[in-house]
Amino acid sequence: MAARAEIESLLRARKLDVTLTSAAPWARNRRDGAPTGLVSLDEALGGGLPRGHLSEVVGPRSAGRTTVICRMLAAAAARGEAVALIDASDRFDPASAEASGLDLSQLLWVRGSGDATRALKGMNLVLQAGGFGVVALDLADVPGSAVRQFPQTTWMRIGRVIEGSQTAAVLIGAERIARSPGGVTIALEASRPEWSGAADRARLLCALTLRPRVVGGKI
Amino acid sequence: MRIPSYDDLTPSIPDITPRDTLAHVHRILPSREADAGGGARPCAAAPGQLFACLRSARPPGVLMAIAREFSPRVERHGACCVLDVSGLGGLIGDPRAIGEALAAAADDHGPGIRVAVAPTQTAARLMAIVHPRVTVLAGEVAAPLSHVPIRALGVLIDEDGVAPGAGRTRAAARAQATAARLETLHRWGLATLGEVATLPSDALFERMGQAGLVLQRLARGDDAAPLVPDPGIPRFLQSIALEWPIEALEPLSFVLARLLDPLSEALARADRGAAAIRLDLRLVDRTTVGRVLQLPAAMRDSKVLRTLLLLDLESHPPSAGIDIVTIEIDPAPARIIQYSLLERAVPSVETLATLTARLGALVGETRCGSPALLDTHRPDGFAMRPFAPESRAAAQSRPRVLPSAGGSQGPSPGSRAPHPESPPSLQGESSASFGAAGRAPGLRRFRPPVAVRVTLERGRPVRVAIDRRGMPGGDVEQQAGPWRTSGAWWAPGAAPWDRDEWDVALSDGALCRLFHDRLIDRWFLDGVFD
Repeated sequence: MAARAEIESLLRARKLDVTLTSAAPWARNRRDGAPTGLVSLDEALGGGLPRGHLSEVVGPRSAGRTTVICRMLAAAAARGEAVALIDASDRFDPASAEASGLDLSQLLWVRGSGDATRALKGMNLVLQAGGFGVVALDLADVPGSAVRQFPQTTWMRIGRVIEGSQTAAVLIGAERIARSPGGVTIALEASRPEWSGAADRARLLCALTLRPRVVGGKI
Repeated sequence: MRIPSYDDLTPSIPDITPRDTLAHVHRILPSREADAGGGARPCAAAPGQLFACLRSARPPGVLMAIAREFSPRVERHGACCVLDVSGLGGLIGDPRAIGEALAAAADDHGPGIRVAVAPTQTAARLMAIVHPRVTVLAGEVAAPLSHVPIRALGVLIDEDGVAPGAGRTRAAARAQATAARLETLHRWGLATLGEVATLPSDALFERMGQAGLVLQRLARGDDAAPLVPDPGIPRFLQSIALEWPIEALEPLSFVLARLLDPLSEALARADRGAAAIRLDLRLVDRTTVGRVLQLPAAMRDSKVLRTLLLLDLESHPPSAGIDIVTIEIDPAPARIIQYSLLERAVPSVETLATLTARLGALVGETRCGSPALLDTHRPDGFAMRPFAPESRAAAQSRPRVLPSAGGSQGPSPGSRAPHPESPPSLQGESSASFGAAGRAPGLRRFRPPVAVRVTLERGRPVRVAIDRRGMPGGDVEQQAGPWRTSGAWWAPGAAPWDRDEWDVALSDGALCRLFHDRLIDRWFLDGVFD
């Protein structure tokens, strides 16, 4: 501990203390999370998505990523928080989101055109503006090669922007992208659709049964 | 020891006790003259009060400018303005000195401006009407006014009838009624204000009513209402002519800061904010580029305003070098913000305006904002609105439904009505650890829809193939449909749609919404449930 204190004092003397993470970012209050609106998931997360950290929701197609994000945004909007969705591929459907309970007037929707770099800039602008409860960046339909081209320092910078703030940042992707040390990964496995009605012409897709797994989040 | 009661503390008035009702007091007190014009109580000259009147045939702005050099309490009445000079005694001197100082200031703007100083507004205005130069009434006003011809009252009433403001119509009607009574006084043979002032009030009220009493009070020099200062509408305008033309936005940023900083300070002094900014750029090719920014709320932070102007100019750059920069601000009342310790703060209007402008420059102005569903059955019918989040209290005041994890809710995305043959309950059983959490699956919509090849058996899709990498495809394992929708076939200019929708589960695990466009007989992938 003495050596660590000495190193930290040296860094502070050279004005390099911004690189310190001595605040123990994972030692957060369990109640200081952004509830997702999904009771079981909130229990697994210890209250909700950690605020001030970058988390991610990943999974294959039709695993329920959009459903989870819509419920997260809806829960935050119901608490009176402003929420933002940076939609890199312009996939967001307002009708189904409103059906899931999202108050669309509380949502800032930034519609991209498939350019991941531009979407990332948009997320950075939103996070720097501050004041949002949940900010989500949807990279689910962006090719993996385009997402992997971002160096890890990019995500570290994103994490630094929101560190200590009341914003929960979320990445949505087909595979794991990045998260900050205090963030969590919600890994969704292939979901099971629920159909109603026995006859073909009476059948109706009514729900998805989610199978999430929470990784990380040193609570 | 005796504790004093309320009765002991109040001064004693004969026949009146503190417990008497107002009606009882009105009966006991000696009768007063009725209120003037619509209930406004007349204002007699208070000790120490002094008013000045400037009168001229020039534009009122000149008189207001002269008056504001002496006092901030200025009221305009048609071709004249009245200013409160009560506090100028210690600074300038006696009323005579104040009148001469006003006359000297008026001479700087040219001849023909009349000045009158009197203890009441009415007396000052009447004297300015009849006397051509400087008139000062320091003490009693009744005697000097007694020789003023009665036609001066007509001028006074006309000016009050055209007074600007919300009550202009009522004031004009009242002035018209009073002018009719003035004509009656003429017919009675009264020529001066002194003759009107000495008429018995009771008899005058019996013959003319309230209007007669109003005329008599004016003739005595009493004020019908206290002075209402004109707040004035200053023009927030700054301009600069550059020595060398500016061709880039970065140096223009410094010029904008130089113009906006004093404008912001002026807005703060006037307790105003900018509702809109007009930027005029005079270019070297002698053309002028004008940009108008309508702001979402009144704001006066110069940095925010500069950022918004620069972001707008990035999207609409001038075609040549800039010679002259002019900024004019439309003022609006400043906002009053009540913060709460109990609610989570939402982004401020200034922050949102800057953020929206930056995002608009990044992705396009029409591609960021809040979606709003349109009142239509057309698929993907929505419009983009400016993002303006509400506080928690406002959001909770509107009725809305947030579906619970285990509660019942609508059957499917896209507001699809249940099929008549479908069972009444659409709830599935919880099977996994997070079971019923995933109600109302979200749809990831393709814009525009992706063309697909669909193999049909007995009219139902059994295989889906898409000629693009990374797209779903495979054998159809489960299906629901068709759900037919059509519309806009009745409107000649609108794009009609007519399609059969299918929800299908593919062998690769994807849950898709397909539709068959009946107008062109082709299949498309509308979206993927996720």
